[in-house]
Amino acid sequence: MTIKEKGYAHWDGEFLDKKFPWWPIARYGIKLTFRKKFFKLFFAGSLVPAVIFLAGIYVSERLEDFKFMFQESVPFLQINPAYFETYLSEGFMLFILIVILIFCGSGLISDDLKHNSLQLYFARPLKKKDYFLGKTAVIVFFLFILTLIPGLVFFIMKLIFAGSFKFFLTYPWLPLSIIGYSILVTAFFSFYTLFISSLSKNRRYVAILIFGIYISSDIFHAIFYDNFHSHYFSLLSIRANIQQVSAFIFSEKTPYPISWIYSFLVLTSICVLAGFILKKKVKGVEIVK
Amino acid sequence: MKPVVETEHLSKWYGNVLGLSDVSLQIEPGITGILGPNGAGKSTFLKLILGQLKPNIGTCAIKGEMIRNNYALFSNIGFCPEQDAFYDELTGWQFMIGLLKLHHFSSSEIEIRARKALEIVELIEDKDRIIKSYSRGMRQRLKFAQAIAHDPEIIILDEPLNGLDPLGRRKVIRLIKSYKGEGRTILVSSHVLPEIEAMTKRIILIHQGKIFAQGDIHYIRDLIDTHPHIVSIKCSDPRQLASKFIQEDFVLNVNFSSTEGTLLVKTNNRDKFFGILPSLFVKYDIDVEEITSPDDNLQAVFDYLVGK
Amino acid sequence: MGQESRGRVSFFLNSLKDVFTFFFSMGKKSKKMKVFFLIGVLPVVVALIIKLNQFFSNRTPIRGIYIFDNMTIAIYLQFLILILALFYGTSVCSEEVEGKTLTYLTTRPVSKSAVIIGKYAAYTSLIIILTSIGVILSFLVLNVNDLLDFSLYKILLRDVAVLSLGLMCYTAFFTFVGTIMKKSILFGLVFSFGWENVIQYFPGSTQRFAIIHYLKSLLPVPQTGRFSFLMFRLEPSSALFSIFMIFLITGVFLGLACLLFSWKEYIFED
Repeated sequence: MTIKEKGYAHWDGEFLDKKFPWWPIARYGIKLTFRKKFFKLFFAGSLVPAVIFLAGIYVSERLEDFKFMFQESVPFLQINPAYFETYLSEGFMLFILIVILIFCGSGLISDDLKHNSLQLYFARPLKKKDYFLGKTAVIVFFLFILTLIPGLVFFIMKLIFAGSFKFFLTYPWLPLSIIGYSILVTAFFSFYTLFISSLSKNRRYVAILIFGIYISSDIFHAIFYDNFHSHYFSLLSIRANIQQVSAFIFSEKTPYPISWIYSFLVLTSICVLAGFILKKKVKGVEIVK
Repeated sequence: MKPVVETEHLSKWYGNVLGLSDVSLQIEPGITGILGPNGAGKSTFLKLILGQLKPNIGTCAIKGEMIRNNYALFSNIGFCPEQDAFYDELTGWQFMIGLLKLHHFSSSEIEIRARKALEIVELIEDKDRIIKSYSRGMRQRLKFAQAIAHDPEIIILDEPLNGLDPLGRRKVIRLIKSYKGEGRTILVSSHVLPEIEAMTKRIILIHQGKIFAQGDIHYIRDLIDTHPHIVSIKCSDPRQLASKFIQEDFVLNVNFSSTEGTLLVKTNNRDKFFGILPSLFVKYDIDVEEITSPDDNLQAVFDYLVGK
Repeated sequence: MGQESRGRVSFFLNSLKDVFTFFFSMGKKSKKMKVFFLIGVLPVVVALIIKLNQFFSNRTPIRGIYIFDNMTIAIYLQFLILILALFYGTSVCSEEVEGKTLTYLTTRPVSKSAVIIGKYAAYTSLIIILTSIGVILSFLVLNVNDLLDFSLYKILLRDVAVLSLGLMCYTAFFTFVGTIMKKSILFGLVFSFGWENVIQYFPGSTQRFAIIHYLKSLLPVPQTGRFSFLMFRLEPSSALFSIFMIFLITGVFLGLACLLFSWKEYIFED
């Protein structure tokens, strides 16, 4: 029997270039989220505001039929960009998004860290970029269902209920605003969630941080504002920053009398910082000292 | 000898999945191996014995006392769980000290016992490293250390050799064997026959939640030795090798696998077969790439025994 | 009390002490506790910024104790203690099951009730210490000009006591939630920031179904002003009744947690 000398040999083959290597990660993440107890119930519940706003659009076109219900004018049934902005960026919707993020995002990276499965991912023809894309796609999927899709559906239904293109001709940029805002809020929350999820192996801890940082940013804003009476402290609040940028996107007056640019810069800085740390934290091999 | 562990009609099911069915047995001091393929019910059996699970039917007693919620009994029991789980932020030393505290020893005694246990498992030099940085083998030995540190009479080890390299296995087997001489009762579960064989002659075979056999390992060994084995050989000249094998009376049949260069040989005498194999390779200058035994696992043995 | 019962009680207390020591020393060294400590002292930074601004601005400063009182409610009572109690309360059982370390505890000569109560006591003590450090430092910073006014220390003591009672009660409740539910965090968040807030807006006795009602009842109701919304629609119960209820809720939920933990089977997930 010949015993051949064994040495390290480079593999000269080529990886099969799959078009969307991140897709299995995304699909699995979405599937897992739906398997969670109470998620379906909560997710269905989180679509209720969309149904109410849609009903509002319908009623706005049939005000005559509903006259018996409204004694005076009903400004909240005036369908304009503010109506869309109210649905998309009011506190209640952002709160719903945070809870959805806890469901779908808290375990995205922390579970991989817990089960030491990062090395399994990177032992496959999968780049870090694909890993992040797959994880981000899970968040994008759920957040778009609550922002982009209802926003566009409202717009289309408004045109259908009105039976004319007048609304479109008045606000031709509105679909772009809806798309732009949805992308912005989803991108921010994706970075925010993935970053926090990469901080710990404990999903419960991650869930608390996702929620706690969002709420505490608002509390600190309130306390500072109350003492300093400076609107610049709104830059401390995640909610306020999103609403500032959202107001600009929908051509509305910003809720705080400071430039939306600052808020945009704050949100962008958080994303950049989160991206930088994520890149450092997510590694195939963990070295424990 | 008086039995230490006694079970009567012990049964456990998870929903409609059967975990253990009607197990009545008595275990005496010494090492007893619990052998069975994955999912056979070994862990369920051990958890029932330890009172971690409630039986649906039947009873389990340790030294004549019911175990569930009988905490005092645990002064005399050491358990090494199957799962590779620890308080990861602790060092090996802190882990040992913390768990020994729960046995209500004095501080000085805790330190002596922790040191002794860590010395036994050869972890004393690494005691101040955090557990997260331990290798699999070290973690396995640490689990063993916490099970023996309070000097229990009964030691229950659930798959203690899982994931260990051959050297690690030898170390742990030696440790386990070193404990049998002191009148202790040791229960070790495994799905690998040679591992159990290296520790004890007394085994309990569990299969599909039932006790399949109990007694001396030699009886099982004899059955296994006559169990026809299939050996797969991937080599440079399978046809020449086949022509030599068909002349041997311990070879029952020879097949060529669909995988290129692979020969499947069925034999009823493994020892003779493996005795002759190297000489054939050398004599006919055959390059060997791989030798495997597709049915050399406990499940195959059980299937054979059940069939018999 | 017979000798056997006395022996059992002393065995239980011994076990309690041992479990407490184990988890207290492990908890104080954990990374998570360090992060929560940093979060806990953030209000001190806020207080420092407010105080520095008062020094350098020309406006008439608001009294430090007024800001302190409201910070206690807004940051600590309505946010931080809920977050801490939720995480550490649910951790008592969940972290053992999730980390598969439960068997190390349940195969020791300690009763399951001692495991629950000992671990609960260790975590509650740690988060009370953590919160108190933040509260005391905030108080000192905000009242740096009035440190000789001893009447203010009564307010500090009262606030620390209320927060400690809150931590004790909420942690007991979440310990129970952690023993009964696998995914307890979402329920906890909904309870803490949904139920506990919303129920305050209901009239009559409805608000007595919230723990926060009894805690707020121990604090003075602010006159109409900027922070009056924090006590919105509070129809306070008497102090004595509130303290009784807080202890009762703590006892009941801890008792239920012990019962459940002793009775339930925990099967680890792969």
